[in-house]
Amino acid sequence: MEDHKNSIYALKTATGQERNVARMLARKSKDSGIGLGAILVPESLKGYILVESSTKIDMQNPAFKIPHLRGIVESSSRSAANANMVSFEEVKKFLNPEPIISSIQKGSIVELISGPFKGERAKVVRIDESREEVVLELIEAAVPIPVTVKGDQIRIIQKEAD
Amino acid sequence: MSIKACTSCKRISTRERCPVCNNPTSTNWSGLLIIVDPENSDIAKELNIELPGEYALRVR
Repeated sequence: MEDHKNSIYALKTATGQERNVARMLARKSKDSGIGLGAILVPESLKGYILVESSTKIDMQNPAFKIPHLRGIVESSSRSAANANMVSFEEVKKFLNPEPIISSIQKGSIVELISGPFKGERAKVVRIDESREEVVLELIEAAVPIPVTVKGDQIRIIQKEAD
Repeated sequence: MSIKACTSCKRISTRERCPVCNNPTSTNWSGLLIIVDPENSDIAKELNIELPGEYALRVR
């Protein structure tokens, strides 16, 4: 096994096409010989994928001619040694994504981002950590009706209301 | 046919049970990690992945 350290690069893709680009890149890397180790598509990073490679990524390479792949993210620091690279420490936090529910507190104001109440604001009444569900009360509803939703269907607007 | 991830090894497949470790799979997963060359990948070593393939980052 080679003894050099791999570098991680961020590539820009069209939003919503991250997985397709990653799969195409994985398929192409096998036949073209670009030394890819892994391709990471974090859910929290929209429009980007992270590519671990043993060689420097050259976007001119025909293997990188993939639909929806927009280019490499250029680093602002111009040092030749680690130009355009992402540190492994930064990538680690994407590898073990923290459940969104752990950052929610009772009384927080959240917005529903999917489901029949999409776009509505609500207050968190109860949190069920084991099932990753929250019980909400819609703010604009005339009568407060508790609504139970999954933790990934909400976005926090205000950490805690009094 | 929905894409599912193993609740134990997080490997992505379309089966009811993981083809590698035979644990049940779940449709509720997020994040995608494609391991091309596990021998030559720091990410694969960090997550103790030895087989190339597609993995989820989080499975419920």
